[in-house]
Amino acid sequence: MKKRIYLFSILSFLIFPEKVLSQVFKTEKGNVEFLSKASLNEFTGKSSDLNGLVDLEKNLLDFFIDLNTLRTGIGLRDRHMRENYLETKKYPYAEFTGKIGTEINLVVGQSKSVIAKGKFKIHGVEREIEVPGKLTAISDSELQLEAKFTVLLSDYNIDIPTVVFYELAEDQIVSIRAILKK
Amino acid sequence: MKKTILFLIISCLPLLVKAQLERKPATDVQDVELIFHAPRHINLLTVEPLDKKTLQFAIMHTFGTLDGGIQNLYGLDNGANIQFSFEYALNDKFSLGAARQSRDKIYNLYGRYHILKQTQDNKMPFSLSLMGGAGVNTSNYSFLQESNPTFAERSSFAFQMMGARKFTDRISVQVSPMLAYFVDPNPIFLIEGDQNLYLALGFSGKYKISGKSSLTLQWIPNLNNNLRNNLGVGIDLEAGGHVFQMYFVTSQALNEQYLLAGGNGVPGEGFRIGFNVNRVFATGRRKSK
Repeated sequence: MKKRIYLFSILSFLIFPEKVLSQVFKTEKGNVEFLSKASLNEFTGKSSDLNGLVDLEKNLLDFFIDLNTLRTGIGLRDRHMRENYLETKKYPYAEFTGKIGTEINLVVGQSKSVIAKGKFKIHGVEREIEVPGKLTAISDSELQLEAKFTVLLSDYNIDIPTVVFYELAEDQIVSIRAILKK
Repeated sequence: MKKTILFLIISCLPLLVKAQLERKPATDVQDVELIFHAPRHINLLTVEPLDKKTLQFAIMHTFGTLDGGIQNLYGLDNGANIQFSFEYALNDKFSLGAARQSRDKIYNLYGRYHILKQTQDNKMPFSLSLMGGAGVNTSNYSFLQESNPTFAERSSFAFQMMGARKFTDRISVQVSPMLAYFVDPNPIFLIEGDQNLYLALGFSGKYKISGKSSLTLQWIPNLNNNLRNNLGVGIDLEAGGHVFQMYFVTSQALNEQYLLAGGNGVPGEGFRIGFNVNRVFATGRRKSK
């Protein structure tokens, strides 16, 4: 009996290794940029530590980023962003999990506009969002994804500094660009 | 049997969770940040580092004693002491500063070096920095009967070690063994002490009351003299790139050497209003957008 269970579990490893699911694309080095466009002060924050997974077979998208990796170009502003606004010690990640609304049959070299629907979570608040994007099959094993969406800070209970010094826009334009590999 | 079931569950786990990526931090070790709001905390320097190639500017004031009451606007009418200080970070660990205090027209040059940084995983439980400085009194003493003090006689030195820990998100404490040395503690200088060497232990405390404001405390017991100890209480307010620090303190001194040798009033009526403004300028290359 015991032996059989062991055997079964070992088999389960052999039968469903990840590689067999041929439509899984991943990255750990995707680019994220947010643009804060207030009337007097415009700045961007960047990170190239976006982790992402696109599974075309299961129609699953899963992305997350460690918010501590965002850089705006001014160290003190970054520290304030982490400590007072994003509160990264409590909520270290921004995450998106969802699926693509339309059917996707990608041919190598072709791009396709898609709309992803799913849950976006930041600062401990989760909301259903829709993200328009573009998928390009660069080769058999490489997939490029570009997407842009707007995050309304008040939707996620993120404060906006009241005493203005670096003015922060209420809506942040987030762009994502990543090349995912099999 | 239990074991085998557990084994079975564990071995199947990858199949279940494979759908999503595992959330993991980008770096293993993260420094604890913003132990204090600024490189200054009331009058003392802190472990708070500056980013590489940034310039920090602090303008600090103290005024007369409170005991004059409203007639003297609680001391604001009486001789303010003002110190300007600029500190530039050559890299993330080392910065050089220059300061000038109006009392005795002292120019001070100093450096700060950050040796250890407290980490979030607590493997390094505190931050540690060193500070060394040298100053010269440039007052005009030509009215003196005796000869003018020489450059060497006008010199004084300061050294301190700052050890700080952020205990919780709200509470940070720094302990700073301090030393000041006057080549010639001339009675004409605006100090109360008459010895060359002054030893003290500085305590700095911060209690964060909101994201952008904290209550602050400073206590500097003297170790080798009978001068009164320095006590200061105040509030730090952060507004974007500025940190405003308002406090009551028993000494008018702003310069490190004078803080230890300058003498102190009695807490209460001897308190003086103090006010610092800290500002950081990024001088490094900034991406144009």
